[in-house]
Amino acid sequence: MPPLARFALRRVLRGVVTIWFAVTVTFLMLRLLPGDPALAVANPNMTRETRQALLHQYGLDQSLAVQYGKYLWQLLHGNLGVSFSQSVPVTTALMDRLPWTLLLTLSALVVTIVIGVPLGVLAASRRGFWDRAVQLSGVVGQSLFVPSIGIFLLYLLGLKLRWFPIGGAYTENTYGIAWYGSVLRHLVLPCLSLVLVQLGSYVLTLRSTLIDALGEDYCTLARANGLGERKVLWKHALRNALLPTTTLVGLQLGFVVGGAVLTETIYAYPGIGRGIYEAVTQLDFPVLQGAFVLLSATVIVANLLTDLAYGLLDPRVRTA
Amino acid sequence: MTSLIESTAGTADAADVADRPAAAKATWDAFRRNPLGILAMVLLALLIVVALVAPLLASYPRGHGTAILRPPSAAHWFGTDNLGRDVFAEVVYGTRSSMLVAAGATALAIVIGVTVAVCSAYFRWVDGVMGVLVDLFLSLPVLPLMILVAALVGPSLQTIVLVLAFFSWPEVSRVVRSQALAVVRLPYVDAARLATGSPLWIIRKHLLPAVAPVIAVSVVLTASRAVLSAAGLAFLGLGDPNSWSWGRILFEAQQSGAMQEAWWTTLFPSLAILALVVAATLLSIAYNDARDPRTRKD
Repeated sequence: MPPLARFALRRVLRGVVTIWFAVTVTFLMLRLLPGDPALAVANPNMTRETRQALLHQYGLDQSLAVQYGKYLWQLLHGNLGVSFSQSVPVTTALMDRLPWTLLLTLSALVVTIVIGVPLGVLAASRRGFWDRAVQLSGVVGQSLFVPSIGIFLLYLLGLKLRWFPIGGAYTENTYGIAWYGSVLRHLVLPCLSLVLVQLGSYVLTLRSTLIDALGEDYCTLARANGLGERKVLWKHALRNALLPTTTLVGLQLGFVVGGAVLTETIYAYPGIGRGIYEAVTQLDFPVLQGAFVLLSATVIVANLLTDLAYGLLDPRVRTA
Repeated sequence: MTSLIESTAGTADAADVADRPAAAKATWDAFRRNPLGILAMVLLALLIVVALVAPLLASYPRGHGTAILRPPSAAHWFGTDNLGRDVFAEVVYGTRSSMLVAAGATALAIVIGVTVAVCSAYFRWVDGVMGVLVDLFLSLPVLPLMILVAALVGPSLQTIVLVLAFFSWPEVSRVVRSQALAVVRLPYVDAARLATGSPLWIIRKHLLPAVAPVIAVSVVLTASRAVLSAAGLAFLGLGDPNSWSWGRILFEAQQSGAMQEAWWTTLFPSLAILALVVAATLLSIAYNDARDPRTRKD
């Protein structure tokens, strides 16, 4: 087998194992933690008879191993149970929400890269004032609490200046171009909140890897060949420094998802995160469990894609 | 023979002890020259003092007041919330419980994480199992997982501490393990292996002191991340409903809609969170820079 194929296969296998782990952890938590297992499938305000009937209906009176087997089997068929607060299958409820979360996180990622790369380059190439300023704001940015920055932007740009809408994802009763326009305007504030909290770590990582790269032999050689510093920076050093930053994108995804949950809660953005918040207030455990499984799967698949891209770009990774 | 080994081990220890204050002094000297590091330390000390003497600064915010949603004034430094409670008192008591939760969760996470890390570094077979487990944990979105558990068990101070600790130790373990692995390969650990049959002794006497600086940084960073996660859970309504925390102030401001008109209900708890986390991050950076002879410039 060619090394690239072997690398891809190994990586896909690891992704599958990780998804299995996420699924198993949720199963064990819902069954073994203190708390009523019937709550995991039904409304907390139920009678004793309903509870018994439910336990039987969902097979919760069977042995743990049997339950586990059934659970995995249902998951393989995309069955995550039924949301009791909305009386619809969890899968349907969440799949309606997933595109909004993807739109939010992906747009935040693109904006972060578009702003973050020039900032990182600036900090790495102009040591001194700009470097210190970027570093310090990077540290502050990393330390921001998502709801704090979300509420601040909502208050300032939404309520006081009235530049952008403060909640939801689109304006009702708009169609065609107007609808896309409203989606875009509703996206600005939540997206900006996410960008501000994740920008710091990207810039700091890019800065330090760039500084390392600029000291490497190939950069010295490029300079010795008479290449201008600007070209060395953008054409040679940046290309290599972007690779570790790509890994960071993957590693950060778990945190970004957490940030998205909080951001969507503030802006009543109809994604998975807002769904989690609503499920928490109604103790809708099937939805909470489904949301975690779905978000984990999304993060794991995204990580897998980043790693495969990395393997394509950098032959050294394939053999490692 | 035994006595010879013991005596050389003794002198090695003595040299080590003589060296350690010198290294610590160099680190401290370098640290003192970093204004940001000092500022961070003062800020952290201030927050700890506020947490300790909270009852002296304000009376516990409870019940209803008559002055509803008043902006900051001499009587209410940080204004009042939608039930007329003093926001300053809420933030002060919030400092107490936020720090308590962070300290508890960090202590637990560090004990578990460091134990797993040094055992993984020292015993290869442990590494096989725990390494995979840590990797798996680190690739899951943590906040949704914490939400699930906290909602299931029911929000209380203990639940929050346990949940935070349980999902923070893998990160501690990852950082400490990589440092411990480098130490285990050093010749003096091999020498110690020859001198004694007790892995526990080597881990305690050689491995732990060598990774202590990484642990120190890890403590600070884990605590600041715990503060953020605890606030995040509280903001979603999964905090302890019986004690004030920074996250709960924000949660109530959002729930009641107070955040839309009364900026003071959200600004001050937000600043408190920011101050704590920035101070912790700057402190760890300054400490790392001071410890590293390459960045120390002495």
